[in-house]
Amino acid sequence: MTETLIFICAGTMAAATPILFAAMGELVVERTGVLNLSIEGMMATGAAAAFAVATVYESSLLGFAVATISAGLLSVVFATLTLIFLANQVAAGLAVGILGLGVSALIGKKHEGFTIEPLKSVDWGFLSDIPVVGRILFQHDFVLYAGILLIAIVWFVLTRTKLGLIIKAVGEAPEAAHAIGYPVILIRFLAVFFGGAMAGLGGAYLTLAYTPLWAEGLVAGRGWIAVALVVFGSWRAHRVALGAYLFGAISLLELSIQGLGLAIPSQVLSAAPYVMTIVILVLISRDARQIRLNSPASLGVTYRHQS
Amino acid sequence: MSRLRVEPRVTESVIAQYLVPVVAIVLTLLSGTVLFTFLGKAPSAVLYTFLIEPLTSRFGIGEVLLKMAPLLLIAQGLAIGFRARVWNIGAEGQLIIGGIFASVIAIHYNESESTWILPAMVFAGMLGGIFWASIAAYLRVRFNANEILVTFMLSSVALQILYFLVTGPLRDPDGFNFPQSVVFADSALFGVLIEGTRANTSLLIGLTLSVLAYVFIRHSLPGFKLSVSGAAPRAARYAGFAESQAIWLGLIIGGAAAGLAGVGEVAGPIGQLQRTISPGYGFAGIIVAFLGGLHPIGICLAAFFMAILYVGGDMALISVGIPNAATTIFQGMLLIFYLASYLFVHYRISFQGRAAAT
Amino acid sequence: MMRGLRRVAALFFVGVLTVGAHSASAAELKIGFVYPSPVGDVGWAHELDNGRKAIEAAFGDRVETVVAENIPEGPDASRIMNQMASTGAKMIMLGSFGYMNDGLKLAKKRPDMTFIHASGYKLADNFGNFQTRNYESAYLAGIGAGFVTKSNILGIVAAYPIPEVVGIINAFTMGAQLVNQGVSVKVVWLNSWFDPSKAQESARSLVSQKADVLLSLYQDTPSVVTVAEEMGVYVVPTSSDMKKYAPNHLLVSQQIDWGPHFVEMVKNTLDGNFKGIPYWGGMKEGAVRMESWTPNLSADQMSVINEKTAELKAGAFHPFTGPIVDQAGATKLADGEVIEDGALLGINWLVKGVETKLPD
Repeated sequence: MTETLIFICAGTMAAATPILFAAMGELVVERTGVLNLSIEGMMATGAAAAFAVATVYESSLLGFAVATISAGLLSVVFATLTLIFLANQVAAGLAVGILGLGVSALIGKKHEGFTIEPLKSVDWGFLSDIPVVGRILFQHDFVLYAGILLIAIVWFVLTRTKLGLIIKAVGEAPEAAHAIGYPVILIRFLAVFFGGAMAGLGGAYLTLAYTPLWAEGLVAGRGWIAVALVVFGSWRAHRVALGAYLFGAISLLELSIQGLGLAIPSQVLSAAPYVMTIVILVLISRDARQIRLNSPASLGVTYRHQS
Repeated sequence: MSRLRVEPRVTESVIAQYLVPVVAIVLTLLSGTVLFTFLGKAPSAVLYTFLIEPLTSRFGIGEVLLKMAPLLLIAQGLAIGFRARVWNIGAEGQLIIGGIFASVIAIHYNESESTWILPAMVFAGMLGGIFWASIAAYLRVRFNANEILVTFMLSSVALQILYFLVTGPLRDPDGFNFPQSVVFADSALFGVLIEGTRANTSLLIGLTLSVLAYVFIRHSLPGFKLSVSGAAPRAARYAGFAESQAIWLGLIIGGAAAGLAGVGEVAGPIGQLQRTISPGYGFAGIIVAFLGGLHPIGICLAAFFMAILYVGGDMALISVGIPNAATTIFQGMLLIFYLASYLFVHYRISFQGRAAAT
Repeated sequence: MMRGLRRVAALFFVGVLTVGAHSASAAELKIGFVYPSPVGDVGWAHELDNGRKAIEAAFGDRVETVVAENIPEGPDASRIMNQMASTGAKMIMLGSFGYMNDGLKLAKKRPDMTFIHASGYKLADNFGNFQTRNYESAYLAGIGAGFVTKSNILGIVAAYPIPEVVGIINAFTMGAQLVNQGVSVKVVWLNSWFDPSKAQESARSLVSQKADVLLSLYQDTPSVVTVAEEMGVYVVPTSSDMKKYAPNHLLVSQQIDWGPHFVEMVKNTLDGNFKGIPYWGGMKEGAVRMESWTPNLSADQMSVINEKTAELKAGAFHPFTGPIVDQAGATKLADGEVIEDGALLGINWLVKGVETKLPD
């Protein structure tokens, strides 16, 4: 039983990481008032590109870099559509997402069904040897720790810095932010790029560290979960991160329960995160004051300079 | 330095409106040409297989019409909501629940040869879609919960419900534990539309709905209200059109249509309930709705075109060896180019300031 | 830039000229292959594709093959096979259980075509199916697992609870019980033929529940195998030899070989005497064989295994020979009774020793 618990705890850290990256990116994007529904496609593109590059050039680092760039490029398409061509964000997100899924399938085609060496764990010296805690916390690869660092950075930037204030101002009241002299479009553009790059990293973690192989459909809805998690976490970094870990734990619990012979249909657990997200969305939305405190007021609304 | 400026047009450009889909298609085909060249295939051969070959044989046309039915239904339903800015992106889930509701009848009365089975399934499927969409409508109206997120997440829940049912309660007891239901009796299947093809009469539902959608938008009061509340929410409120009405109406119509599409699949080409009853029609339907300019006639054309892409994609896979990802890429590019060029319907571009100094 | 454009334009026109040419083919028989997962490097679809290559090697220019890989079971599969049929394929190999109903529908519509379908249970005059007696190899692998396990817990990552898979789980368990009465077996059902990330999560979960031998049952990727190597537990893959993915911890591989059967079916189609038969090839026919036994088994242990291997190859032994008791303790086969093929094809119970229940 303890072994199973350790497995779930340690496994959760890894299972949550791809979603964590994507969700942190999307959090920043949504904070600037842009709803990017193309995360799934960007993760897939990052995942496939990373795997292809890592296979050909035998370098995971290069894989991560290319994933960031390729998904970032895709997000530039989204940003251009929504911010410059003033397209509807929902439609543009779906379009770019579908494009990303197609592109990923094409890039990954040749490498489908093959596998590579996963990332090495970081050597924490004696820390890794601590019973239980060592196995849960100190036997992972460096990207996983980078993910934890990302939570801290996003949290810090959003809550403790001027940049965070600007980002939130742009999301709350783009007209006002523009009037004060902030380049609303540019800030949103950069945020979307950041979001895309992070989604790409998350995807790359799947193919280079977690699974580690590429197959069409490998992302399996994780991008959509990342979008859901931002709502689940009511647009706050620490809650979004918590949601990511919760989701990771549930997905592993689903499999452990089978092995332990418990009779809970696995579908109940699979559906749980979505149901919980809906419940939380209802809870934070029903009170107009609450929702104003949490969600960016201009989320999903096209913004155009009124100069 | 010269500056590009985007200026709103006083009235929407009608010419631009008609040109936009054409431009989008042309740009997509050009990009396709480049893409296939990179893949080392002769682009003309591939494009021929993609766009023309589906229409050169009875089989091909049948497949196109078969594929068109769910796309048409979903897009017509969604477009009505979209016009009112009700963003239902969960048609996939509404389709699944509709398919499940209809299947329950088909499975329960599997022995029956009654002619009422199919109409009952159609009705049940529609109810299923409405039920699933109503959850989102209720949560939006009552609790102000964003319908984009709720409809999307309900799709994921619907998929899990489907998985649960086909691995358990609705599984074929003699099917050796494989997650699928019994094969439906003929009384639970749509008739063949064109002899020798798989195209079935569910397409007629889609076409009927298209006519209804046209009448609804052009000649009915609720249709007018919906359009107004989409185009000018504030004016609509002054005129006493409640936003909540628009939300309910938009979602219910979208859900009903998607539910019907679900019936069309389980009582059509699939003929049973399985783990996969839609290869993403709910999302493709959104593309079709936009590509058709949210207009009933435009949507008919867009659904037809999109169906050709699907069928042509499979043909290209088998005869020219193009990976099926190409179809997905085409879909994505189509909508991207459409959205980009749509700018010119509402805005015009003008140059301002000094001439370029390069 | 201009030159690039010109090249694109030139290719375009060259393409126009060649459009008409590609459909003409000299082959006598066009055969379509539909796989549920990518061909890749190892696994189910890879072995089916090796069967296709065997056909090409045997018949050369007389046949032409078309492949559609990674086709999910569902409405798309049906369109793909219909498309193959309408573009001149006269024979189709359907590589997954879930293609059965769609394939059968098409077979009834096209009596001029022949079909062979993997692991289903429905037949028609022009619609045959094929399976391996993989339970035989699983039994042998089970013996090895019974020898090497220290925790006495074996873990299985399984696809769907269809009879073929249930039979393999039972045989693997009974093989282990032959040499080690105390073993118990845990199963995780994935309800998918191809879900690499869930497969590897399941493998980790089983190891955390003390399983020290894993059976990767029709998982069409090496994910379970690589996890086993990483976590230092033994592993038995199905379909292909996966030694290279677990050089130190591969217990044994169960290698499938479809070549001879496929070639025979194609020959029958060419000769016009195809019959929709159920083919069930085992160790005797060479349809499945053991590869890459671990060197860590002692000579005594290997001799037990070799003896049973010889008996299976000679057809002198059936793993499902009574007494066999199911999970609930009910006697399924009396002492000395051998299961009939019909019963085994529809097997729906797990033997005592398997902890996980069949999903109901």
